[in-house]
Amino acid sequence: MKKKMEPWLFLLPVLVILLLLFGYPLINSIIMAFQNYKLTAPNDIHFNGLDNFAKLMGDPDALMIIKNSFIYVIVSVLGQFLLGMTLAVALKKQFKGRGIYQSIVFLPWAFSGFVVGLIFRWSFNGEYGVVNNLLDKLGLIDKNIAWLGTPGFSLAVVIIAMIWMGIPFFAIMILAALQSIPTDVYEAADVDGCGTVRQFFQITLPYIKPTLITTILLRTIWIFNSLDLVVIITDGGPANTSQTLPAYMYSKAFGSYDFGFAAALGVILMIILGVYAMVFLKATKYDKAGDF
Amino acid sequence: MKKRILAATLAAVMVGGLLAGCGSSDKKSGSSKDSAKDGGKATLRFIDVSPSPERQKYYENAFAKFEEETGVAVKYESVPWDDAADKLTVLGTSGQLPDVITTHPLWLGQFTEADWVIPIDDYVEENGDQFVDAVQKINWAQEKERYGHVYSVPDGFMVKGIFYRKDWVEEIGYDIPTGDDWTYDAYFDLIKALTDKDQKRYGNSFRGARGAFDPLLAYLQSFTGGYVFDEEGNFILNTPECVEAVEKWCEIYKDGYVPEDSVNWGFVEMVDNFTGGLTGTLSNDSEVAKACEEKMDASKWGVLPMPVSTVDGKMMNTAGSPYSYTIAKSSEYPEESLQLIDFLVRADNNIEYCKMGGLIPIKKDVGDDATYGEDGPYAVFLDELNDPNFTVPPMYGPFNYTDLHQDMFHTELQKYLLGQQSAEDVLTHIGDELTTRMKQYLADNEGSTIETPKTMQ
Repeated sequence: MKKKMEPWLFLLPVLVILLLLFGYPLINSIIMAFQNYKLTAPNDIHFNGLDNFAKLMGDPDALMIIKNSFIYVIVSVLGQFLLGMTLAVALKKQFKGRGIYQSIVFLPWAFSGFVVGLIFRWSFNGEYGVVNNLLDKLGLIDKNIAWLGTPGFSLAVVIIAMIWMGIPFFAIMILAALQSIPTDVYEAADVDGCGTVRQFFQITLPYIKPTLITTILLRTIWIFNSLDLVVIITDGGPANTSQTLPAYMYSKAFGSYDFGFAAALGVILMIILGVYAMVFLKATKYDKAGDF
Repeated sequence: MKKRILAATLAAVMVGGLLAGCGSSDKKSGSSKDSAKDGGKATLRFIDVSPSPERQKYYENAFAKFEEETGVAVKYESVPWDDAADKLTVLGTSGQLPDVITTHPLWLGQFTEADWVIPIDDYVEENGDQFVDAVQKINWAQEKERYGHVYSVPDGFMVKGIFYRKDWVEEIGYDIPTGDDWTYDAYFDLIKALTDKDQKRYGNSFRGARGAFDPLLAYLQSFTGGYVFDEEGNFILNTPECVEAVEKWCEIYKDGYVPEDSVNWGFVEMVDNFTGGLTGTLSNDSEVAKACEEKMDASKWGVLPMPVSTVDGKMMNTAGSPYSYTIAKSSEYPEESLQLIDFLVRADNNIEYCKMGGLIPIKKDVGDDATYGEDGPYAVFLDELNDPNFTVPPMYGPFNYTDLHQDMFHTELQKYLLGQQSAEDVLTHIGDELTTRMKQYLADNEGSTIETPKTMQ
């Protein structure tokens, strides 16, 4: 009996910390989602059933915000993946100055979201922004574009910033995976007369598949959850047209102080991401990835 | 055994530490003892509830001067703003409030109800004339109406005005209307006249994001004498006149007299783009003058009064005082305390104080001060405070509307600016929500009535 308990005792400190730091807030936020919990009315906190969820359904902007969230995630992940992959393949071969080049292109990953947000907010400023200036000099526009004040464009700016910031992460992960592929496999393929394209799809991709799956899964969840760029660049505006679910949740919690409604949004986010993770892992046959 | 000794020692150390902690805090409270005769002279206690190094320096200098003039010493105490309400409540309950207290307007109800502060009606009677009309006719009249007596002297005023580019106006030779002709329509005309996109000049720092509805509310109120609701709690700012006003207000955005990006502008962007030279006018509180002074040449900017109503000539404005001074009932030296307050609001001291936070002094006579005097940039604000048409309308309602202010108000307006709904929709949506809350408030608070606008009459 004593022997059986021993591992649990060793695990206890970690379990307690996990329970306190993750378990408690998680359970509390789920409870909050079913409460009328407004910091502006601290004496009137009570259970209100599904009211918070009903409020979301009745929100005329809800559909747009959910649509925005999906566009934001899908385009950002796709952009980061394609450009990150290209960068990794380009960096795989040895060339002069590769070290310096590599450290420069990996730099965006080291920036905080706040800094990236400010850089893009200023670059896309409708009056003084460098982007309008460049487009004007290239003769592509004859009138300044109000990037952050126009529905559609404002979300696009956030997506561009997110892609720019996340490319290095994909590149680093994919490059590490590429470098771990044994060269003799390629040599054998060469001897068998296999072309470059076929080599990429038949050797490279299967080898790096586990890395790709993990990276895409992680980035999707991170991007879906991230709100810093949205809040800093557009604050969801104009008229919520660049709002995403987590940014909306943030504004409801810390702008309107409606923690109940924000918690309901949080629960929905959690469900979406949980389902996504399960479906994604199942669909990509993660268990079997990397088996040859 | 060893373990036990170790445990006992540790426990002893901890208990010792606790006691030491208590001891030091005891000492601390002992040092802030009640006002005392110090060698026959009075020593007053003064508490600041919004301390900053700048404010502390100001007060300590003023107190030194006060002691020099009167022989009464003053001890400066402070409590961080976040704990202020709690601490003052504890001090009040235990009869240990400092002699002079900087008081937030919202606390005065509690202070008077608990009988912690003394009325200063005689002082007001005797010296009232020296103060700007707004202090007498709005602040003190309101205090008298609510609490039966006057208890406090405000520290300064936050008033609204229109900041404008004096140099641009001179350059285009524009004649800005004055008096009754300075209406919102005249204001829009000025905005249009100042716009010159070839020179990268826009007429106005338009506010499209958080807080966008606040200046518009004042404009709409100019059609209803300042009222937002009728007696039953129905929102009344949705008349055809008001719908047209919203359209006019947004026309300057839709027709390109303000930067297109400004649909996303909040306070910071408005001020930055005005001081940075992109926009020609800006409607906001007097605190903006501080930013203008710091970033712009004095010849480039000026202040205009808020436009007046085309209906009744009233000027919708605000007259908020961050704090006011009150005297504790427990004070042994009420006379000296009143003397101290009178000293703090004396023109020279009050001017110095107001300059720290972009406030407007509360006394009429500011002499030829470079900032507030007749030729100074703040002179307009003082004129406003003495203008018989100066009106302080209520805001959105007596209920909590933080959530609407953070989201719905400006989002609804943005949707109209972007052509996603009509001006009528904006007022209907906002009006319905405000009506619901107002009616709920009236139902929950039996006997309560609709707040009336404060006028100088």
